[in-house]
Amino acid sequence: MDLWQLLLTLAVAGSSDAFSGSEDSSGNPKFTKCRSPELETFSCHWTDGANHSLQSPGSVQMFYIRRDIQEWKECPDYVSAGENSCYFNSSYTSVWTPYCIKLTSNGGIVDHKCFSVEDIVQPDPPVGLNWTLLNISLTEIHADILVKWEPPPNTDVKMGWIILEYELHYKELNETQWKMMDPLMVTSVPMYSLRLDKEYEVRVRTRQRNTEKYGKFSEVLLITFPQMNPSACEEDFQFPWFLIIIFGILGLAVTLFLLIFSKQQRIKMLILPPVPVPKIKGIDPDLLKEGKLEEVNTILAIHDNYKHEFYNDDSWVEFIELDIDDPDEKTEGSDTDRLLSNDHEKSLNIFGAKDDDSGRTSCYEPDILEADFHVSDMCDGTSEVAQPQRLKGEADISCLDQKNQNNSPSNDAAPASQQPSVILVEENKPRPLLIGGTESTHQAVHTQLSNPSSLANIDFYAQVSDITPAGNVVLSPGQKNKTGNPQCDTHPEVVTPCQANFIVDNAYFCEVDTKKYIALAPHVEAESHVEPSFNQEDIYITTESLTTTAGRSGTAEHVPSSEIPVPDYTSIHIVQSPQGLVLNATALPLPDKEFLSSCGYVSTDQLNKIMP
Amino acid sequence: MSGSRLLLLLVVSNLLLCQGVVSTPVCPNGPGNCQVSLRDLFDRAVMVSHYIHDLSSEMFNEFDKRYAQGKGFITMALNSCHTSSLPTPEDKEQAQQTHHEVLMSLILGLLRSWNDPLYHLVTEVRGMKGAPDAILSRAIEIEEENKRLLEGMEMIFGQVIPGAKETEPYPVWSGLPSLQTKDEDARYSAFYNLLHCLRRDSSKIDTYLKLLNCRIIYNNNC
Repeated sequence: MDLWQLLLTLAVAGSSDAFSGSEDSSGNPKFTKCRSPELETFSCHWTDGANHSLQSPGSVQMFYIRRDIQEWKECPDYVSAGENSCYFNSSYTSVWTPYCIKLTSNGGIVDHKCFSVEDIVQPDPPVGLNWTLLNISLTEIHADILVKWEPPPNTDVKMGWIILEYELHYKELNETQWKMMDPLMVTSVPMYSLRLDKEYEVRVRTRQRNTEKYGKFSEVLLITFPQMNPSACEEDFQFPWFLIIIFGILGLAVTLFLLIFSKQQRIKMLILPPVPVPKIKGIDPDLLKEGKLEEVNTILAIHDNYKHEFYNDDSWVEFIELDIDDPDEKTEGSDTDRLLSNDHEKSLNIFGAKDDDSGRTSCYEPDILEADFHVSDMCDGTSEVAQPQRLKGEADISCLDQKNQNNSPSNDAAPASQQPSVILVEENKPRPLLIGGTESTHQAVHTQLSNPSSLANIDFYAQVSDITPAGNVVLSPGQKNKTGNPQCDTHPEVVTPCQANFIVDNAYFCEVDTKKYIALAPHVEAESHVEPSFNQEDIYITTESLTTTAGRSGTAEHVPSSEIPVPDYTSIHIVQSPQGLVLNATALPLPDKEFLSSCGYVSTDQLNKIMP
Repeated sequence: MSGSRLLLLLVVSNLLLCQGVVSTPVCPNGPGNCQVSLRDLFDRAVMVSHYIHDLSSEMFNEFDKRYAQGKGFITMALNSCHTSSLPTPEDKEQAQQTHHEVLMSLILGLLRSWNDPLYHLVTEVRGMKGAPDAILSRAIEIEEENKRLLEGMEMIFGQVIPGAKETEPYPVWSGLPSLQTKDEDARYSAFYNLLHCLRRDSSKIDTYLKLLNCRIIYNNNC
């Protein structure tokens, strides 16, 4: 024990320098490493030293001592482990036994070291590194492999004498940094998702479990996959955002086009609601466009509360004929004058001249009639009303002819006296109106009486101020009056008690005329006489403010003031079904507004109402 | 006729089924009352011994780093372990020639002999001035694991060598006075030595156990 302690003390003194890591400036050999690869043998290595040349070969010696063998022994094998090494085989190796070694050069201790074998275990690298293919992905881009190796052959792993731990390193061929896997206790490991188009390198090393030092790395294994289908695969599947955007826009555009140009009005309405246009309830604008006035009129007739817009019907035109060719008419002024004047002769002449060949249903020339009507004013029942009038008109024509001749001389005198009053009435058109009758005051209020002589002066267009229930039109005061009497029978009876110049025979009266007429014949008899004659619905009377009731009774309440000038055109205030118009008496203070049910026709009752 | 055939079929099927069964019953009532398979026992023992070796290595390195810099070499060289008297195999050949019974009794002796030192180690490390928690916690852990391993080894011994009553004497540790000496250097040296011996003996135990495992369970084909 004493010798052992002495030797160890010497060894400690000597080896402290070596373990402290200081450089040996003297260039003496030093121990570099002692290593046991399998816990059965070990070997120690030392450097030659700088003074190698100076020393004679073989002068360096190494001695070792074990605790149980308390003497220094020289290295048993200087050769097996290479140069400057000492190899201790299994017989010299005792695990868990402290060893001390020393290096001498020319008798002098240059280095020493103490250790235990189990502390210097450093296995050899594994052998037999290889790989096998496990599977290939469906896309043929990736593959899984299994890397296998064998433990170092000198390690007795089967017996369990040494337990080894392995560490695998791998990297791609062109990479510089190795990646390492976790330590393994088994000799194989799978590697997943390796790219088929790349090459990999693998190496493995091992160490005894519970120790720190790894052995050297095995040889590097190159993993190369055989070329599969040379299909051009994409690196990564990038979501084709660009394509999706393009297709989305195209789809939207196509959908929009289809919607816009499709016939599916419902969908179109949903997506692109139409801008609301002004519209009258219940009336289809298409009817107006296509000229189906009858339908429109029927529709209008249904609605009691709505203003009727009476559309011009060409059938009206038929009833009105303006005889332009007649020289008498032209000389006497506008058609309006003609219509409004009491010159029934002229009118009759006109009518007669025209009516002979055309076979028109009405007494009046359609041209003349047309002049009295405004396009916007139309009785919806004109067509129906016109029918009975036609029959009567034809009779009237014949009557008128006769009466014209009879009355012509009387008519000539009448207009002259009425001219001044007419002028007063007339505000818009300073045309000489020949108004039949001596009633001046009334004339001022009412529209001008229709005078055949002045019919030539009647304008082409006259506004319809009102329409009787029968469908007759009441012209606005701006135009000549047109009065007609469809019945010839009663006319002579009526006319005779009155003034001769009154065109009672005529089927059409304007309100002024009627009033005048009534005024002239204040007798009840005259009125009564007048009444039957004016019971006809088809008496055209132009009023400016006729607001009579639907019935013909009680026209007495309508007493429009006679002094108030009458405008040519008055707007329709209220439309009473089916054929009533109430005009806005903008310039005239109306006592009350009642509907003139008769389209411009004023019956005798109405006349009674009108006349004061 | 059909009944006898059915019976025969039943018996044969039972036999076949029974042969394939490897019973590994769980042991809820403690180690004394149930049968844990030898393989499981060895697996657990190997795990525990490996763990103890790890802990002791770490503890030694910690202590060496803190208290025995520059002095460890001497301490290691001069002192010996109290378990050196046990005739443990020193190399592979010797180990291969040692019977597993002997081997197991050696393991048991080692484990038993370390019970006392480990207990005192914990006590003394606790009392040590400024002892790092790493050393103390590991000391406590090692003591506990050592007890577990001892129990497991006794169970393995009972299964491998049934009926044998293993009561061989084990080395007694007598280094307590040196751990409790007032001389700090001496004390540190004693600690160092103890920890070094612990590391070595845990390595022995671990190696012997793995050897037995491969020999008995895997039939030398680990």
